[in-house]
Amino acid sequence: MDLNAQYLSLEEICFATQNPSQTIIEIVNQGIVEPEGSGPETWVFNTQMISVTKRACRLHRDLEIDWSGIALAISLIEELDQLRDENQRLRKRLERFLDQ
Amino acid sequence: MDFQDYYKILSVAPDADSKTIKTAYRKLARKYHPDVSEHHEAEEKFKQVSEAYEVLKDPQKRAQYDELREYGAQPQGASGGQQYSQQTQNQGDFSDFFSSIFGGAHQSGQEAGAQGFSRQGFSDQGFSNKGFSNKGFGAKGQDIETDMPIFLEDTLTATSKPISYSLPHRDAQGRVSHVNKTLNVKIPAGVAEGERIRLKGQGGQGLGDATSGDLYLRIRLVPHPLFDVEAHNLILTVPLAPWEAALGTSLEAPTLSGKIKLTIPANSQTGQRLRIKGKGLVRKQGHGDLYAVLKVVMPESVSEESKQHWQQLADAAVFDPRTEWRK
Repeated sequence: MDLNAQYLSLEEICFATQNPSQTIIEIVNQGIVEPEGSGPETWVFNTQMISVTKRACRLHRDLEIDWSGIALAISLIEELDQLRDENQRLRKRLERFLDQ
Repeated sequence: MDFQDYYKILSVAPDADSKTIKTAYRKLARKYHPDVSEHHEAEEKFKQVSEAYEVLKDPQKRAQYDELREYGAQPQGASGGQQYSQQTQNQGDFSDFFSSIFGGAHQSGQEAGAQGFSRQGFSDQGFSNKGFSNKGFGAKGQDIETDMPIFLEDTLTATSKPISYSLPHRDAQGRVSHVNKTLNVKIPAGVAEGERIRLKGQGGQGLGDATSGDLYLRIRLVPHPLFDVEAHNLILTVPLAPWEAALGTSLEAPTLSGKIKLTIPANSQTGQRLRIKGKGLVRKQGHGDLYAVLKVVMPESVSEESKQHWQQLADAAVFDPRTEWRK
């Protein structure tokens, strides 16, 4: 099975996330994802951006937060995930030096 | 099928007004939303809370529900209530209890959004969307996300690994069952923890002849018994006998790709790091590094003879390990 479709155009990400283009444009305007390219016609999205977009839409829909609030929420959630990850890794390293 | 007490789920009184219900929903939705919550039953609880709100926010549905709750009548089949022409895509989202009252062909306000968009006009905000079509909404099958565990050794070169996952399958009568599917996936070298691989069309079937959804694989690096990961570097904890740290030594250390000779300098300390270039994980250009972190360990028991040697060392030493305390 090939790793196809790792890069997507605006139209493709619209279909992949089942959103109209205006929603994706809003998400980019808010800085929630930052595709390569100078405008909607040339934007290139990657797979990671699909998940961020879907997460943004879930939060917008489920928690009824407006898009600018979503940008902050997502950046905090990402930071939280990174910190939890780092925490776990440091614990593991520490355990190698402590009594089991 | 269990009766769902929606008022209890939202922690509101049965005569609560719509504002109270909305506030209660928002509070619980924030608490249990799977994107936000680490709660291990978050997803289940969030579904319950959403369903409760779905019913209680709508006066008609709430009335229907209240009647059922009060009189304890058996829920009717899908013949009652409004008819919807489109089938829901997310049949797993509502409980059996909900479906028995409001029908399996229900489409919530959330799902209806997809159809709704094709009728809206869009104003120019920031970039305009001239020329982009919004075709094909509401038709795509369900996306599936699953974890793909990978051993550190596997990340050194491109490999092919099987992944098994559960796929919802709809038969000719529209009944949904779950099938186990296995695929062989090509994994490129140097994948990192949390990276996603998208396999187009390998998700749930679309309705009718609509496109299937996609499969998303989240890479999970299996913890290694010897190595810890820091970005593209690996960390190996190296236990040393006290005399090895004192006198230095040469030893054979494991790496992900075979053994190497490691030279420990004399007078080494616990926590000291020795860098072995290029023996870490694969990156875009070359490799990360391996860091050997030294750990001096005492033997479990000391023979009488050893004890004498230790005492000699103690007597001869002029070393205060606790200078920090004397400041």
